[in-house]
Amino acid sequence: MERTRLRWVGIAVALLVFVGAGLSRISFNVDILRLLPTHLPQVKGLSLFLKHFAQPNELIVTIEAPTPAAADRTAGTLAEALAKRPDLVERVVAHAPWEKHPADLSELLAYLVLNQPPEKIRSLVAAVAPENADATLKASVERLGDSVSPQEIAVLSYDPYNFAGVLGDAGFLSSNGIEPSEFSSADGTYRVVYVLSAHSFPNYKAAIAWVRTINGLARAAVADPAVHLGFTGEPAFMADISGSMEWDMMSSGFATLLVIASIFWLCYRRARPLLDLQNMLVLIFTLTLAAAGLFLSQLTVIGVGCAAIMIGLSVDYGYFVYQRSIHHHGTLAELQRQCVQNIVWTSGTTAAVFFALNFSSLPGLSQLGNLVGIGVIIGAIVMLTLFARLAIRFHRREDSRLPSVVERLFATPGFWRNGAFLTGGLVVVLLGVLCVKGPPPPDFSARTLRPRVSEAYTALDHLYVRLTDDRDVLSLVVAGKDAPEVLKRLRTAEASLAAAQARGEVKSYRTALPLWPVTKNQRANLAALAALAAELPRLRKSAVDAGFKDEAFVLDEAMLRQWQEWAQKNGIADHSDGATAPAAVTESTPIWPQNNTSRWIFRRVASHEGDQLLAMGMVTPMPGHEDDVTKAVQSDGTWLVSWNQLGRELRRVIPREFGRVIIALSAVVIFLLAIAYRDLLAVSLFVLTTALVLACLAGAMSLLGMSWNFFNLAALLLLLGTGTDYSILLLLALKRNGGDAPAAQRELGLVICLCAFSASAGFGTISWANHIGLASLGQTCALGLVIDALISLFLLPQAWTFLHRRPARAG
Amino acid sequence: MRPFLPLFCILCALPARPAEPLDLAPVRKWLARQDELRSVEADFTQIRALRALRDPITTPGHLWFSAPDSLRWELGEPARTIVVRKGDTYYLIQPAKKKAERYKAESMAKKGGAMGFAMMNFPIAKDFADFNRQFETLAVSVSSDHCHLEILPRDAQAQKFLQAIKLDFDTASGHLLCFELVTREGSSLRNDFANVRMNQKFDRRVFEYDFTGYEIVDGKN
Repeated sequence: MERTRLRWVGIAVALLVFVGAGLSRISFNVDILRLLPTHLPQVKGLSLFLKHFAQPNELIVTIEAPTPAAADRTAGTLAEALAKRPDLVERVVAHAPWEKHPADLSELLAYLVLNQPPEKIRSLVAAVAPENADATLKASVERLGDSVSPQEIAVLSYDPYNFAGVLGDAGFLSSNGIEPSEFSSADGTYRVVYVLSAHSFPNYKAAIAWVRTINGLARAAVADPAVHLGFTGEPAFMADISGSMEWDMMSSGFATLLVIASIFWLCYRRARPLLDLQNMLVLIFTLTLAAAGLFLSQLTVIGVGCAAIMIGLSVDYGYFVYQRSIHHHGTLAELQRQCVQNIVWTSGTTAAVFFALNFSSLPGLSQLGNLVGIGVIIGAIVMLTLFARLAIRFHRREDSRLPSVVERLFATPGFWRNGAFLTGGLVVVLLGVLCVKGPPPPDFSARTLRPRVSEAYTALDHLYVRLTDDRDVLSLVVAGKDAPEVLKRLRTAEASLAAAQARGEVKSYRTALPLWPVTKNQRANLAALAALAAELPRLRKSAVDAGFKDEAFVLDEAMLRQWQEWAQKNGIADHSDGATAPAAVTESTPIWPQNNTSRWIFRRVASHEGDQLLAMGMVTPMPGHEDDVTKAVQSDGTWLVSWNQLGRELRRVIPREFGRVIIALSAVVIFLLAIAYRDLLAVSLFVLTTALVLACLAGAMSLLGMSWNFFNLAALLLLLGTGTDYSILLLLALKRNGGDAPAAQRELGLVICLCAFSASAGFGTISWANHIGLASLGQTCALGLVIDALISLFLLPQAWTFLHRRPARAG
Repeated sequence: MRPFLPLFCILCALPARPAEPLDLAPVRKWLARQDELRSVEADFTQIRALRALRDPITTPGHLWFSAPDSLRWELGEPARTIVVRKGDTYYLIQPAKKKAERYKAESMAKKGGAMGFAMMNFPIAKDFADFNRQFETLAVSVSSDHCHLEILPRDAQAQKFLQAIKLDFDTASGHLLCFELVTREGSSLRNDFANVRMNQKFDRRVFEYDFTGYEIVDGKN
């Protein structure tokens, strides 16, 4: 006795440690791409894009005001209010950085000049030599008088020696990521303010708290009711999506428990076993979540649906054990032996199907499969061990009880007769709908990857409408281990894009090539350019003599000093003392511009932190040529991606893959059942029942206007694992009792009904999940389970009876 | 409209709005007369007072316009820069370098048409309603038969860089006398027109250009 008690205490302590360790590691991953096959080029490219260019700590605040002045004023007020909180905000950017600090652009210009081919730099150096400087300046003055390009006039006014002239066409300001339109709409009534968090977010709760605080500060600062604020960007997505994930998980799990409790009470009217059952379900859920925390990485939006599904499936075993215990008068071991075969077969096939989701290339579904598979196994063990013990103790204490209304109903022959008629009628209607309307249409757009309700997405959609809608634009992502490798790939991509444009497949494109460092050129040019700094006094005097004001020289002076600074940092000797030959340039990593303005411009063009370098570009394909362009440009280390392209790629890959997995799983299940039944007729009936269920499901979906998507295609897999339990149980019972269909129905009717409603409740409660894909999965599975239960309960026994009666009539 | 994308500009306060409503009757009349405009030929002197230069740059020029959309604008004698519009295409020509850039009129329209080349559109607006849609009137003053008008494009981006557009026209003849762009940075580009000949015949071959030997590239907008 003492030993038994000690054993139980030991088990309880071990479980507590297990649960504590597991639950503390639970975290959510809101990255939608984590749900998708990682080997697909679109997923790989988009993942790189989001990881390196999506600005995880940058909140985008949008301002919509009735007038440009009000929008401008609000942006200023907001920026001021948020800048007063350095504990929360590192930087607020409401205007293009170069507008308030135009001198900062000198670093970018110096960098661009440094990247030019050495022969151009030699020409530049020659042009400012004492014998040529006056002619260069005169040409600049003439150009300032002749040019009709406002941009050229603006730049040349402050670049008397035309250093920027080596850059070629003076479109660099608009062609190299310097777009004023990322701050304001054309009419000025819509403004965007970028708010950079002072800290990274260690988890989703930190992101939610920060976004809420900024939201509160912003609304307090902007009192004008005519001004509308929106919040989007990565922190807002994280807050929205993970917040709703947390709620979806908790609410669906809780709702399922409530529905199960109601069904159990309706059928059995027993409070104590109900309480015990609920406690078992909570234990199963806790143990499964702990296992998930320990053995799996972060939970995705699909993984959160596991709670409700698992509860809905595990309770089946509890119902079965309880129903058996009602009429059991033997020992606990005998009760467990009676239940083990059914529970092992049903939980085994269910777990096998869910674990088989690992063969899917959708990591999100694999995670769901692992979670539910683990949960189902834990559920079976807990129900067979703990709950059986509690159920049998309850019935030993209890006097014999009267059957409930529901139990009496299930015992009447009329119920089964009417049920068969109604189910037959339903099948005819649904098959009719399928014939007339056809199967449900496919919807493999990216829409199902999004949350249903998300302020962050609403604000983002509005931003696309008011600023630039680049949703049809493809993002060019080029990766490499070092700058020269990326440069080589960029040049290849440019050549491919130019060819595609010549073929009429591309409307326009812009790559990071003009901004990407050319290490070879930098090394060749730096010494020569840095040496010009020694000539500053002469150059300034000549410019003034040529008619420029002193202030006109600020840009050229800034560039010269920048080259000098880079040279010093890179170990090139300072020859301001007049020495003749510059020292050889040392090997170094590329020079990148570093000031705030340059970082702002480069943040969506190049990523050079870490061990992988990436460059980004934008391609606008001609309508209908997206696939051609993608095929022409994509290669090793180069991707052309967009959410729409992802949808197209998934549309090609997923249905094929699901088809393969479904066929394989069906074969496994049929094989297992052939071993269990050893009867060809039984196996055939199982196959026919399953086929009928799926056909009726398709008809029901057509009737309700539902469509197939990436997520509810998995319902076909899940129905193979869960819905088939009902027909398996009935066929096993029919084999056991020699084909007595009414007896089998009486024995299992209530249990199957309870199981079907509980499982439907489990799936049904995720129908209101905020994630569109997850919600559609829940709806489809709930529908399929109800249809499966009706056909298995009312029509399958009739079919068995009919088929087994025929040989007798023929005799 | 984005007539300017200057590298250096200092954001200044917008000019103060006049307290009293402006009398735009002279402007309305002038714009109505634009309907009668079939052709314009004029000499002009362009004075560029750039903040970066000690002295302004003065350059003579000549322009031709023929309704609805033919334009030739020459700067310098001999011409060092020529802008020609024919149909839906602008050409920015540098004769000395034998180079030309080609722009679609549709994309230039987003920058205010010819104002994207720091020049004036002919006509400046289709009608008074179009004028009000494009521009905010800052000041109007009339003395004898001379009207001075100061306007600002309503485009938010243009307002960042332009302080005002100043026009002077003869109220009696409707001739444009002066057109000036003033930037917030403190520079100005002024065209003083002379020998204005309206609705008179001239050789329409002036809108043709022989690009033999020229390198023509598509301009970057």
